[in-house]
Amino acid sequence: MNALRKAGYVVQAACLIHLFHQNVGELTYCMGPSMLPTFNMDGDIVAIEHLSKRYKRLSVGDVVVCISPVNPGRAVCKRILGMEGDHVCEDPTLREIERKYIDVPEGHVWLSGDNLSNSNDSRTYGPVPYGLIRGRVFARVWPDPGWIANNFLPYTSYP
Amino acid sequence: MTSRLWSNPNARAAIKTLTWFPLLFFFLENGYSTATVQGRSMQPTFNPDSNKLSPDIVLLSHWGAIGHKFQRGEVVAMTSPHDPDLTITKRIIALEGDSVRPLPQSDQKSVVYVPKGHCWVEGDERFHSRDSNAFGTVPMGLINSKVVYILWPLSRFGKVEVKPNAERVSVGSVDPMRL
Repeated sequence: MNALRKAGYVVQAACLIHLFHQNVGELTYCMGPSMLPTFNMDGDIVAIEHLSKRYKRLSVGDVVVCISPVNPGRAVCKRILGMEGDHVCEDPTLREIERKYIDVPEGHVWLSGDNLSNSNDSRTYGPVPYGLIRGRVFARVWPDPGWIANNFLPYTSYP
Repeated sequence: MTSRLWSNPNARAAIKTLTWFPLLFFFLENGYSTATVQGRSMQPTFNPDSNKLSPDIVLLSHWGAIGHKFQRGEVVAMTSPHDPDLTITKRIIALEGDSVRPLPQSDQKSVVYVPKGHCWVEGDERFHSRDSNAFGTVPMGLINSKVVYILWPLSRFGKVEVKPNAERVSVGSVDPMRL
């Protein structure tokens, strides 16, 4: 009887932790060259929160974890470069005369890695539905702990 | 304070019940849950009579969608690609690698290749459904569950049928050279 009660506590605690991970915040591992120099190539442990996604507080410049549109079993870590309705440059690595600009459709975001020369992002798979975003990366836990801030400045004038 | 609360048998029973809520939510998010189907886009499978006041209640299997393995013809519930707050119910017509011929009313006139990780979904009522004929292929990551049973009304209680649509789809595989 006592063992059964203990097992019950374990199940309750596990479910509570799982719910917290799914709806409030979690730690996750983020690896690959696409977010250099913000994140390491051989992996960082980052903290993500799900609340700003739920309450639509995400904005241009936020780093997010998102389910990959080309592989539903994988998550990718990218920076939002355009919200719905924004007019974005499709590929800023091209020469100025070759660049194309598109409008981000309703309910979508434009994602991009920080390392434009080695990143699979909206330049290859186009705008991504907002529903695929899992959460916002707000801190790096290991190595080199620190906050990941949205360091984009408000647009004032073209220099 | 805590001990006084604990010595009250009613409060103790209430707290003990509350501690099982995480398990309930876990089951609803990852096992099975119910949902009501609004609108006529899935007629005649759901809400066959639009004039009726009570919408259909269906059973969603989140468990069945965990591995992202779907069959052509299955009915799924997914987040709308245009509105993250809206969940839509559609039938999967084509999977990644397939080629599908859109319906005549679609903006897209030529045959569509479904890219890796995507699928083509349509409502059963082809004239009153906003589906892939309007917004194109959708990422499979948006699908959150399979619609497996109709629970209400009881007169139509039963399994939701898998109905593949073979004549407009040519089954293919993912070409690694195309995204």
